[in-house]
Amino acid sequence: MKRNLRLFTLIVVLVILATGCTAPPAAPDTSELEAQVADLQAQLEAASDDEAMAELEAQIADLQTQLDAAEEAAAAAAEAAAAEEAAPEPVTLTMAIWDQETTPYWQVLADAYQAQNPNVTIELLDTASAEYIDKVNVMLSGGDETDIITIKDIPQYSGLLERGQIVPLTSLIADAGIDTSVYSGAVEELTYEGEVYALPFRSDIWILYYNKDVFDAAGLDYPANDITWDEFDQLAREVTSGSGADKIYGAHFHTWRSCVQLGTVQDGLNTVISDDYSFMKPMYDMVIGMQQDGIIMDYGELRAGSIHYRGVFENGQIAMLPMGSWLIGTLIDAKATGEMDFEWGIGQYPHPDGVEAGTTAGTLTSLAINSNSKNKEAAWDFIQFYTGIEGAKVLAGTGNLPAIRTPEVLDVFASVEGMPEGTKEALQTTTVRLELPMDPNVSVVEQILNEEHELIMTGSVSVDQGIEEMTTRINEALSE
Amino acid sequence: METAELTNNTSSISAQQRKRKHNLTCYSFILPNFLGFAIFTLIPMVFSLVLAFLHWDGANKISFAGLDNFKQLLEDDTFRIALLNTFYYVIGTVPLTMLVSLGLALLLNQPLVGRNFFRTAYFFPYVASLVAVAVVWNMLFYPAAGPVNEFLRMLGVTEPPRWSASVDWAMPTVIMASVWRYMGYYMVIYLAALQGIPSQLYEAAALDGANGWQRFRYITLPMLAPATFFISIMLTITSFKVFDLIMVMTNGGPGRATNVLVLHTYNIAFRQFRFGYSSAIAMVLFLIVLIITIVQFRMEDRWVDYQ
Repeated sequence: MKRNLRLFTLIVVLVILATGCTAPPAAPDTSELEAQVADLQAQLEAASDDEAMAELEAQIADLQTQLDAAEEAAAAAAEAAAAEEAAPEPVTLTMAIWDQETTPYWQVLADAYQAQNPNVTIELLDTASAEYIDKVNVMLSGGDETDIITIKDIPQYSGLLERGQIVPLTSLIADAGIDTSVYSGAVEELTYEGEVYALPFRSDIWILYYNKDVFDAAGLDYPANDITWDEFDQLAREVTSGSGADKIYGAHFHTWRSCVQLGTVQDGLNTVISDDYSFMKPMYDMVIGMQQDGIIMDYGELRAGSIHYRGVFENGQIAMLPMGSWLIGTLIDAKATGEMDFEWGIGQYPHPDGVEAGTTAGTLTSLAINSNSKNKEAAWDFIQFYTGIEGAKVLAGTGNLPAIRTPEVLDVFASVEGMPEGTKEALQTTTVRLELPMDPNVSVVEQILNEEHELIMTGSVSVDQGIEEMTTRINEALSE
Repeated sequence: METAELTNNTSSISAQQRKRKHNLTCYSFILPNFLGFAIFTLIPMVFSLVLAFLHWDGANKISFAGLDNFKQLLEDDTFRIALLNTFYYVIGTVPLTMLVSLGLALLLNQPLVGRNFFRTAYFFPYVASLVAVAVVWNMLFYPAAGPVNEFLRMLGVTEPPRWSASVDWAMPTVIMASVWRYMGYYMVIYLAALQGIPSQLYEAAALDGANGWQRFRYITLPMLAPATFFISIMLTITSFKVFDLIMVMTNGGPGRATNVLVLHTYNIAFRQFRFGYSSAIAMVLFLIVLIITIVQFRMEDRWVDYQ
């Protein structure tokens, strides 16, 4: 009895397998039908009497319907084959990211991809932003298999590729037929010795945020899109007011080195890797002057108090804030939840005298595949979505600037609820300089620049001394 | 006779067996702990020693460096600065922590109302999260409107120090934070030692007419010597290893004003990926601590009396 049952089950299984394996019914050959139609049409043209014509037309119509049916069948068969091919084998991709809680787009983009690819699960590996790069470095040195590595900045990128911890993508990009020109030069910036190891999905530029209420109260016009750093300095002095707890500072320079040093490389004559840093003097002189006159908050205090630029802007303590476009989404949220209770606007980043307006600096956020990943193919598919036009639209919808900026994408971005007026104009760029160039020594140089920046800004050394030390120390470090 | 010999033999065999069994039991108790120690401490230590003679970036091929890494130490001025800063920190922290914790222990050894509360209060910083401690200290010493500077201004200091935002004051600020953090822990050790001093010694001294200072100088201090010795060694070693407090409070800044050896090692290893060179720095630190500890042990006989 039991044996019979087993035999029966076996047969059922075999039958199911057999039916499943048989090829889909062969579709009638459409090319043959097409040839017949063409032949008949030729006859029709040649025919002279109406009767023959009518008959031929009828034949053609008949064949046409056959042809349509055949084509439909072929399409259905192809679809079935494709579905069978994509046999949803479940894949779990892990992705290293930072600050998941305050950065909503990680989840939004992952969800968008999962909706299209139900077989894929995206697991986000969250780290605090400040520790992200160190942590990923340590993880990868330990042979970690996280599939997708988000690249936060150029030093991290150059370090990872030099150590061979991320996979070259050049041939994959060529195979997939991706047109890299849509990234407006970003892919070229990421090219090192002829190979690209990451594709950008997000590209931020530096712009100028301002508090409209402060300017209204002072009876001043809002900052124009085309202002030089000198004009910025002047304006900041005019708009500074009050004292003590009610003081409104005209401008704000966050503690990052880049806040001051970006303005020194905007003209494109120098990069932050140099053998003579005297080109940084005018900008440092300006910022130190503003600091001494109480136009901006004191650097030492910002550092000691770990004061975030976002907080002081949202509290209405500062009139103008030169900062990256990543802040837009955060401010929209703050305005919507009522954390920030004034009107704000954005304009183009100030520029040095003699440099075209719209010249700014930018950062790229890109995705790369871990060399140790076990799911490289799936990861590549995910990256194509994330860095492609579809991903760009999703990202733009969250109030963040995608690396692909077609008019279509920018429309999505500008129509995000709460986006201040003039966004499109403010984001018009003529030239975008990379914050840090691709160079194997970039992390060593950056550490020295950071240390000397701190010394200059805390007034521990004079601007001239600090710049001189930068020059000698970096020359020494690079000659090793 | 024969039987006696036999029993004698068996008893000696079983004694040997018993000894072996006893040893095995002991080893098996040590084993789990030792395995953990070997995997997480001993092997990495040996590896690090070897690394100091290699070039390695953590991913690419390892190459032999010979003494290159050690030669580089001589040219690296950040290493020199970090070495000096480390000594500055140790010399500032060790005596100060010992003095403060001894003072607290003497105070809280008195029959005082609520002394258990105070003992807990002083011990608290030691168990509090270091990051929280660092943030609170930065707030206290906030240059513009922090409580410390407000107080100093009230006293008539027109230009109070800028603490962690100044090259000259950053290290003293870190040292103070460190003393505050560790004083409670060492206070507890001193308290335990104080309670171990027999009261008849004080009674005898009082009968001989010794005053308070003399009793402290000739009874308390010598009786505390073993504890002082232990504390000085522990403190010296932990102070040379300082990293977390500095990383969170100043990150080595402003400039390189508070950069210490372990922070420099960390930056070289995990920011610049020169594991070989960073191991060489770690090795130097190890040698310094080793030499100082040996010296301390040698000097032990002169002033420590275990009675």
